[in-house]
Amino acid sequence: MSAQAETVTIEPKATSSPIGVWWRVVDRAMDTAGDYLNPILVKETRQALKSRQFTITFALLLFCGWLWSIIGVALMPSIWYGSQGMEMFFGYYIILAFPLLVIVPYGAFRSLAGEREDRTYELMSITALGPRQIIRGKLGSAFLQMLVYLSAISPCLAFTYMLRGIDFPTILFILGYTVLASLSLSVVGLLIGTLTTEKHWQVVLSVLMVAALLLSLYMAIGMTSMMLFWQEIPFDDVEFWIVCAAWLTGHLSYFMLVYYAAAAQITFAADNRSTRLRVVMLVQHILFVGWMAWTWIWMANGEEEVLLVFMILLGIHWWVMGALMTGESPDLSPRAKRKLPQSFLGRIFFTWFNPGPGTGYLFAISSLIGGLIVAMAGLASVEAFGAFNSRWNSNYASTIIAFGILGLSYITIYLGLGLLVVRLFRRFTYVGVLLTALTHILLLMIGCGIPAIIHMMSSDLRHLDYSLLQIPSPLWTLPYIADRSGLPPEAPLLLAVVPLAALIVFALNLPGVAAEVRHVRLAKPRRVADEDAELSAELAPPAPVRTSPWD
Amino acid sequence: MIDSQPMIELRRLHRFFGKTRAVDDVSFTVYRGQVFGFIGPNGAGKTTSMRILASLDLPTMGDAFVDGFSVVNDPDRVRRRLGFMPDYFGTYPNVNVREYLDFFARAYQLRLRDRIDAIDRVMDFTGLDVLADKPTDGLSKGMKQRLCLGRSMIHDPAVLVLDEPAAGLDPRARIEVRQMIRDLADNGKTILISSHILTELAEICDVVGIIERGQLLAMGTVEEIRQHGQTPQNEVNVRLVGDAAPLGRWLCDKPDVSELQVNGEGIRFLHAGNLDAEADLLREMIDAGFRVVAFGSQQQTLEDVFMQVTEGLVQ
Repeated sequence: MSAQAETVTIEPKATSSPIGVWWRVVDRAMDTAGDYLNPILVKETRQALKSRQFTITFALLLFCGWLWSIIGVALMPSIWYGSQGMEMFFGYYIILAFPLLVIVPYGAFRSLAGEREDRTYELMSITALGPRQIIRGKLGSAFLQMLVYLSAISPCLAFTYMLRGIDFPTILFILGYTVLASLSLSVVGLLIGTLTTEKHWQVVLSVLMVAALLLSLYMAIGMTSMMLFWQEIPFDDVEFWIVCAAWLTGHLSYFMLVYYAAAAQITFAADNRSTRLRVVMLVQHILFVGWMAWTWIWMANGEEEVLLVFMILLGIHWWVMGALMTGESPDLSPRAKRKLPQSFLGRIFFTWFNPGPGTGYLFAISSLIGGLIVAMAGLASVEAFGAFNSRWNSNYASTIIAFGILGLSYITIYLGLGLLVVRLFRRFTYVGVLLTALTHILLLMIGCGIPAIIHMMSSDLRHLDYSLLQIPSPLWTLPYIADRSGLPPEAPLLLAVVPLAALIVFALNLPGVAAEVRHVRLAKPRRVADEDAELSAELAPPAPVRTSPWD
Repeated sequence: MIDSQPMIELRRLHRFFGKTRAVDDVSFTVYRGQVFGFIGPNGAGKTTSMRILASLDLPTMGDAFVDGFSVVNDPDRVRRRLGFMPDYFGTYPNVNVREYLDFFARAYQLRLRDRIDAIDRVMDFTGLDVLADKPTDGLSKGMKQRLCLGRSMIHDPAVLVLDEPAAGLDPRARIEVRQMIRDLADNGKTILISSHILTELAEICDVVGIIERGQLLAMGTVEEIRQHGQTPQNEVNVRLVGDAAPLGRWLCDKPDVSELQVNGEGIRFLHAGNLDAEADLLREMIDAGFRVVAFGSQQQTLEDVFMQVTEGLVQ
């Protein structure tokens, strides 16, 4: 062969053909788009596709789907002439639900927990990836796995539709809520994965996580069987969709709360971990109040029980949130202080979003008061413009008002006492969010448990529905108030003592709150300001060039 | 390449774990282009200081700065300028070398051509280009060290913090890693490096700091460290014709001679003084009638100084 022949280059045929050109354009576009994908998503997808766990799960899913197809057809002779799609669908659903509700969320949990154990998380955390990007990447990876599992079983699902007996909206609805549940369980798994790096606690959390996931699987299968076999989904009922919308709002708001909580857990210690969470809490609160008001007016026709349920849910929610917020550190880093509100109005309205246990306490109490004001406004409108239904009587109004005032007072007392105890502990040792939450639970248990034990053990009190010994116990006093249409004889005393105690506890906490309110904004260090100026100069558009003598 | 702009600065850094003072009032400055060697026994506080500098931990008191940015208050700006190679590998299963570097390049927000160039540059520098498709968990220890060094420099940081980069490597791999670090310093990188292999540090470091029980005991150039707080001492070996014992007795009277060891026809001792003083001593020996056939003097190594300065105490 001559030297000339060796140097001949062969042009790839694809480049000259229109398909080849288009393919290159698409390839380049995909490459560019892939560049903007979350790096964790890219990495984890590459890892997952090569991992044994994914291969086994995927193969098992296909095998079980195939097996159920054979068994189903073999065991149901009526499949040849009847509508057996629903039964077949249920079998495929169980096969699909296991990876979706157990494998994927547990994988998300282990993915983050494992990175923290192996310390690869540290290497990732010092890159330009932010904490929310890390959580989003892990969630995205979980979602992608869900899609792969769904696509694997989709021919089987299509098969059930062709068998008849199940309609397309039902299939979509069931798959939709399962995917949502899987995503929510995944984000909870990620939050749990951030809680500890201690090996023994990781093992405990792993066991609890598996138990919770299996329970979720059981509940999802139960709910699906109910929807398929006992109660048809009322797609043509407007109320059904309204309930779905309300449920979805609550679900998404808690999803966001858990997502931000997980991100806050892995945020650098000197950063502000709290403000975003409080914004989500406020939005969630507004959505909840809005839905409850709508439910009360349009659906419940002014039933007083709805107002009571509303207040109970609101109280539980803000007690839990308050218990967590009061665990925050009272010290603000200079970094966090750089972004504090500065103007008079800003300081009045936004100081409560600043991190700190005192501001958290006030944030919880003021949000609760806001919710109760809306409830009372609803009540006043009923009183002023007449009842929605004939069953309404004014005694309900007094019960609801007393219940609201006492509930608010108890939460003020217990959160305030917990905060005082934690402040005392902090003089001697570091107290984190978890220990603070435990302190609040312990205080509530003492406040409710001791009077209950004395009540049970005393032969004089045992036969009574209520005694004044139960004043510290919200779990006994509040149901006692709510259980009747009129106020009980102890009500005047309760309404005098409990709010007074709440005011005292609140006043005792005010110095601590005031110390946090006094934080003021710090200027950026010169080096930071210089760099920001350089960056903004680079990003600023060039000055317009004068092209006309009239400019 | 060294200039007067401080790239790393530790200001009265403290880090306590309960009653243990892992870092206790440590301050030093490393200028652009310098290689700073951090020496100390296990548990001395080197890794803790480096972790704080890499914004992986918070100091109890004090602060650390990278290119003027506080690691406490501006960790995001610090991270853009700093590459950290810890004393563990941090590799992922089911990921090959190129994918591993690609992940970190993406994580540092390198886009398209920049990312591909950065990966090629790093693989070329560390010699990993031939192993691009090999799984990271199947690499040898030396190759993993190279990969970790590559990962820490993927975003072309101005400052590199390397914690025990040559630990556990065979002699060839150690020499190669040392050469890489020297090349990086020649390219203007500021490097903070810790190692137990002091001879290597002496060769590549411009400045050395000795830390023990969280406190910086000595700091300066290798030469300054050798002269740390005392007249420089050189080890002198003398061989002579006949028994060395009389010379030993003669040397005992000399005030600048210490740690005398007589061994047959040879004698070894430490002499405090410069070269002139050593020449005078040799002349005096000969004048005193000792038949000297060899007189060799050797400067103290960094290891010798390290042993003198530290007490071998751990917390």
